Amino acid sequence: MIIKPLFSNDPSLNLRLLLALIASTVLFFLDTRLNSFASVRSNLSAAVYPIQAAASLPRNAVDWFSDFFVGRQELKEKNAELEVTNLLNNQRLQKLEDLERENLRLRELLGSSFRLRDRVKVAEILTIDLDPFSQQVVINKGERDGVHVGQAVLDAQGVMGQVVRVSAFSSYVVLLTNPNHAIPVQVNRNGLRAIVTGKGLAESLGVDYLPHNADIRVGDLLVTSGLGGRFPSGYPVGIVESIAYPQGKAFSEVRVKSSAHLSTSREVLLVLNATNIDAEIAPSANKLGDEIDQ
Amino acid sequence: MINKTSQGGSIIVMSLLVAMILMLMPLPDSVRLVRPEWVVLVLIYWTMAAPQRVGVGYAWLVGLVMDLLMGGPLGVLAFSYALICYIVMLTHLQIRQYPIWQQAMSVFSLILLMQMIFLLLTPLSLDLSFGLPALSSTLLWPVTYAVLRSLRRTFHVS
Repeated sequence: MIIKPLFSNDPSLNLRLLLALIASTVLFFLDTRLNSFASVRSNLSAAVYPIQAAASLPRNAVDWFSDFFVGRQELKEKNAELEVTNLLNNQRLQKLEDLERENLRLRELLGSSFRLRDRVKVAEILTIDLDPFSQQVVINKGERDGVHVGQAVLDAQGVMGQVVRVSAFSSYVVLLTNPNHAIPVQVNRNGLRAIVTGKGLAESLGVDYLPHNADIRVGDLLVTSGLGGRFPSGYPVGIVESIAYPQGKAFSEVRVKSSAHLSTSREVLLVLNATNIDAEIAPSANKLGDEIDQ
Repeated sequence: MINKTSQGGSIIVMSLLVAMILMLMPLPDSVRLVRPEWVVLVLIYWTMAAPQRVGVGYAWLVGLVMDLLMGGPLGVLAFSYALICYIVMLTHLQIRQYPIWQQAMSVFSLILLMQMIFLLLTPLSLDLSFGLPALSSTLLWPVTYAVLRSLRRTFHVS
C-alpha cells in the first residue's frame, strides 16, 4: 500500500517528541544540579552572544545619534554643572584622603585586615530584556576580562547584584530584586545586622526576620555588612521606605527602596572579590599585629 | 529537483533570528509584560507551512538557543517548543484550512500551554500578567501570518 494517508500519524514523530523530552530532561538536570556543567553552558552562551549584541544595537545607535546632535548650549550647561560638582567632590576628597589615612593607621594599630578602596572594573549593561520575572541583566565583560561567578556588581549609587553566570564575552548578573536573592546588610545608623531580600518588583526590596522591637526607622540607610564574604562591606544597598507591624506575626514587614538605579543604570562597576582582598592583605596585617604584640 | 525541495532554508533562519532579536529588544516596563512570543509565532507558521523543513528537532534546537539567550534553565523552552511543534505537525493540515481568527485561537491555546510548562518548571509564583503574552501573540498572529506568507511566496520557501 503506497497510499499516503491524509493525516499522517507518523510513528517517527512520536519518537522524535520522546527524544526531545529525554534530551530536555537530561539537559535540565545537568544544568540545574551539576556544577561542572557550567563551563559547557558558558561556551554555549558565548556562541549565542552575537544575537544578544545585535539586539542591543538599535538602542546603542539611538544613543550615539542623540550624543552626536546634542546642542552646544546644552553641552555648555552640562559642563558648568559638572565643574561645580567636581569642585565640591575635590573638596570632600581632600578631607577623605586625610581621614582614610588616619583610619588605616588606627586599623593597623588594631591589627585588623581592612581595605578602604576596592579595586573595580567598569562594564556596560547590554540593552536587552531577559524574562521580566527573572530580574537578571547581561553585561559586556566575561571570562576574558577576569569576571567570575559571585563577583559583586555596583553602580554609582549602590549595590546592584552579583554575577551568577559567566561566558567568554558576557556575564549574567542577578539583581537584588530577584526573589531568590538575599544580601547581608547593616543599618548604617546603629550597626544592626539584617538580611535584605528581593521582592520581584522593580527597585523594591524587603528586610526579613526582624522582630517588632528591632531598632530600625523609616529613612535608615542600609549598607552591606561584608558578612558572608560575597559583598565587600560598606556599600549602600537601600533606604527604608516603610515599616509595618502585622499583628500575630513574629516579624515586621520592612520595605526598602534600592539605592542603585536598578532599571536605569547603563554603566556598572565590578568589584574584586572581597575574599581575594582579605587574602592579599592579611599577611602584612598579621605581621603588624605580631610586631605590636612584641 | 533536489534543489527545489531545499529552498529558502536561510529565509527560515533569518526570520527566526529577527524574532529572537524582537524578543530581546528593550521595551519600557509597562509594555514588556505584554511582549508577544515572536519566536513561537514564527515557529508555528513555518511548521504549519513547511512541515518538511521545520520539525520537532528543529524546534527543539531553536528552544535551546532561546534558553541560552534568556538565561533560564536549559531544556525548558527547548521542550516547550518541541511540544508545540509536535502538536502543530499533527494538525497542520487542519490548521491550514482554518479561517485566520480560528488559527489565532489555536495559537492562543498553544502559547498558554507553553506558559504553563514554564510555570511548572521555574520556581516563580503565578502573577496577574500571566497570559498577557498569549493574548498579544494571538492579536498579532494575522500580521505575522501575512508577513511570513508573503516572504514564503517571494522566496519560494518549500
